[in-house]
Order: sequence, then C-alpha cells, then structure tokens
Amino acid sequence: MSGFLGTDLAGVTATWVAALVTIVVWSYLLGERRLFRLAQHLLAGLATGYLVLLAVREVLLPRLLEPLARDPAANVLLIPALAMVGALAGARWLPRQVVALPVAVLVGATAAFALGGAVVGTLLPQLAASVLRPGTALTLVNGVIGLAITGLVVLGFLHGVPRSRVTGAAAGAGRWLLVGAIGGWLGFLVVSRLALLVDRLGFLLGDWLGVAR
Amino acid sequence: MTDRLTRRSSRARFAPLALVVLLGAAVLLRPGDDGGALLLANPDRTQVAELQAAFAALPEAPLVLVGLDADLGTYPEIRVAVRAALADLLARDARLAFVSFTPEGRAIASAELDRLERGGFGEDELLDLGFIAGAEAGMVRAVTDLLSDGVEGSVADAIRVADVGMGAFQLVLVVGGGEMGPRSWVEQVGTRLPGLPIAAIVPTFAQPELAPYVRTGQLVALLATLRDGAAYAADVGGGEAAEQVPSALAMLLGMLIALVALGRTLAASLWGLGPVPGEGAGTSNRRRGGGRERDDATADAADADVEAAPERAAEADAAAETDPGDEAEPASDAEREADAR
Repeated sequence: MSGFLGTDLAGVTATWVAALVTIVVWSYLLGERRLFRLAQHLLAGLATGYLVLLAVREVLLPRLLEPLARDPAANVLLIPALAMVGALAGARWLPRQVVALPVAVLVGATAAFALGGAVVGTLLPQLAASVLRPGTALTLVNGVIGLAITGLVVLGFLHGVPRSRVTGAAAGAGRWLLVGAIGGWLGFLVVSRLALLVDRLGFLLGDWLGVAR
Repeated sequence: MTDRLTRRSSRARFAPLALVVLLGAAVLLRPGDDGGALLLANPDRTQVAELQAAFAALPEAPLVLVGLDADLGTYPEIRVAVRAALADLLARDARLAFVSFTPEGRAIASAELDRLERGGFGEDELLDLGFIAGAEAGMVRAVTDLLSDGVEGSVADAIRVADVGMGAFQLVLVVGGGEMGPRSWVEQVGTRLPGLPIAAIVPTFAQPELAPYVRTGQLVALLATLRDGAAYAADVGGGEAAEQVPSALAMLLGMLIALVALGRTLAASLWGLGPVPGEGAGTSNRRRGGGRERDDATADAADADVEAAPERAAEADAAAETDPGDEAEPASDAEREADAR
C-alpha cells in the first residue's frame, strides 16, 4: 500500500490513472512504443508544469517579489537578484555579456559551496579517520590495505605512460579491483531496482486490484 | 590476437553461469543461524539500534528537522522505513518540520505531509517549510535563516524562540536519494553546526557512499537497505508498518521476473537462445539480420586484405563477434528515436 492516495473519488481516480500509466510504461517490454512515448510526453509535460509552479509559488513570489513589494528598503539585496532573474528569463533576447553575469554567479557560488563542503566535510574528516586514527594493529592493517588498494586503482588510470613489468602488473590489478568495486555497486543498484519492481507490483495487486493487501 | 579475443569471449559467455553459482553458494553456505539470511528484515540490528539510540537521546518534545530530498524513482524502496521513523518520532511527541532542497523531494514531502494530516496530525506537530532553491548555497543560507516571514504555527513559534535557523533543532533526519542527500547535509550543515546530529534513510545504492560518514560519526545513524528498513519498521511500526511492507505475492512475482530475465540472459549467453544480452526489447529481427550482413561483409573485406594488414583482420573478427544489432542502422524514424532514447 503506497498510502499516498485516499479512498475518496479523487483517490480512486488517481489510483486508476497511476495503474494504467504503469501498464503503459511496461508495454514497452512487449515492443509497444506509441503508448510508451505518450507516457514519456505526459511525464515531461507534467514535470515541466510542476517545476514552473514550484518556481513561481515557492521561490519567486514568497522569497523575492513579496518581500520586495512589502519593504523594498529592508531588502535592497533583492533588487540585483530580481535583475538577474530578469536577465536569465530574457536570455534569448539579451546580449551574451548580460546573461553571463547571473550564470557566472550561479555556477560559481554553487561550485564554491560544493567544493568547500567536500574538502571540509568529506576529504579532511575521512582522511583523518583513515590515517590519523589511533587504534589497534588491525586498524593499522586495514589502513594499509586501503592505502594499497587506492594506490593500485590510481595506477590503473595511468594511460599512455611508459610502464615497467611491475607497474603494468600493478595497473592491471588496480583495474580488476576497480571492476570488482563497480560490480559490487551495480549489485546494490540491481537490488534497489528489484525493490522498485516489487513495489510497483504491490501497487497494482494491492492498491489497484485489491488482491494482495 | 584473434585467438585471444575468442578465448576471452568464450570465458565471458560463462560469466552469468558463474554469477548463478556464486549466488547459489552464498545462499547454501551461509543461511544464518536462524535462517535470517532469507528473511526480508535484516537480522543484523546494528543500523536499527543506532537509529533508535539517536531517537532515544532526544529530549522531551524535541524539534526535528526532516530534510526530505528523496528521488521519486527510488523512494518506494525506503518509504516503509521513512514512515516508520516519522511515526516513531511523533510517538515520542516530536515536532517535525519538513524542508526540501530538490523539486522531487518537495513533491514527496507534500504527499507525506498530506498523508500525516489525514492521519490526524496538525499544526501542533507538523510544519511545512517548503522548498528552498539554490542547492548548496540555499542549504548554507538555511543554516541561519530557515523560516521565511509567512510561516506560522506553534512549531514555527518554537523554532523562532530557539533560533530562526537549523540550530533550533535537536536532530536532522535526512531522507536521501536525490542530488541533495546526506552527504550535502554533512558537508554544508554538519560543518557549520557540528553539535547537530544527522541521521539518514537512503536507498540501497547510496549505502557504499555513506557508510564512511557513519564510521566517522558525521552521521549518527544510517538506514540504507530495504532489509534494514524492514527490520526497523518491524521493530517500531507494529501492524501499520507491516501493512506497508510489500506483499509476499508482489515479492514472489518480482523475484520470478528477475529469475526469468537472468535465465534468458544465461540461455542466450551459453547456448545462443533468446535475445542477445544487451539487446533492446523492441529490436526487430530484420534489423538484426541487416546488422549481421553488414558485419560479415566487413569481415570478408578485412580477410581479403589479411596478409597486408593482420591487425585489421583481427579487428574485423572482433567486430563480427560483437552484438550485430549495435552496428545496424535503425530501420525507421521510430526506431531511430528509440535508439536515441
């Protein structure tokens, strides 16, 4: 039971629509493409409409336009923000130099926060935990194994560099370790997707047909 | 070189068989002391105990921030665990504030809030903080400025009394799966508010990425597989959670479909029966035939010139051994569009 849809008329209608769309998507497995394409267009249209609604109702109006209209003097910084929103919205008709400014701010700020966070929040703490952590001999062995695996995988990425027999063998071992790790991760992914398939089947059997609640 | 490629290809044919043997051996050799390996709920309760300990450490009527940024495609896998966790928190008189940094997470948060309100919870227990744009930048700003002016209610008042930002909360429960997952919370919020515990519930695929954060203590708890989620729901959810766990019939059908897919791949790989692995479902026979003719022609042309260029002959042999459908031209516009997808 997904629990999202109620038992009133709207809920029942939504359940039927969801079940039929699920079957339409699965029809691709049988080679039916027109219905599948229709479902794709439906998804793209709904997603676009939802994003527009979200941007207007939850970002532009409450966080930009309303504060600016209510008290412009207290929200001076929102004026350049409004100008940048206008520049992005009118990017098609404005000179490239004008549009470049908000895009640069957007990309630069996001990259700066993401990179800074990755260094301070992930790289340094993980390094500290792996290398500087005091512990038993087993911890030390674990660290050495981790370091060796990391080194071998890095060697596996050395393409186009002259290699000796030893470095070639190490690079080969690194590539196999990489393949093993990717295989393990794909295993996680398969299990995850299998759970989704079971959920959809459960929705059809339980919520829609009512035979396996 | 051709012999080497042929040997490698022959070995590759047995890869699915090796996988089946490996899975069979894993099931037979380690069924668990009480058969727990074959249960949906994970018999290893370590992760469940960590989440319960994080909840147990909360003060009376705590303020909990729920960062709901799951992915629509993977949320069904963790839905049971998320609902059990929310029910557990509400049973501890927690006041929950929902915030999302991704549009998909916002859609799921709206649906979950609607479901909780239908269940009788109101503004004394729940607060919808909505969607915050700006990805990492928006998250950093929310650390100190989470409440917008129009947000009202008893939970909002409690947050304002303590701190208008995330410092007002005693715990953050991150529901991940999308772009702004627990890693973003640890990097952006955890570094600015190191005293704020962060727990997470994520789909299985995110487990390898997030497990190191549990070991360093940056995440106080992590539920990251369906089995952990089922174990947690069984422990705290009671009958309501049991209703939400996938039915046995659905699981049986799902497993059968997976076995059929694996069996077809195995048959195609070992004996050339069924579809060629990696071939799309809608590929027509005519298209396969066309591809085969073209590859054969390529191989013949290379064979004629084999004395002058042995490497080219080996490449043509390799091309002839590869999936013929991959090289074929789409027969129609519809197939061309499908291939593009």
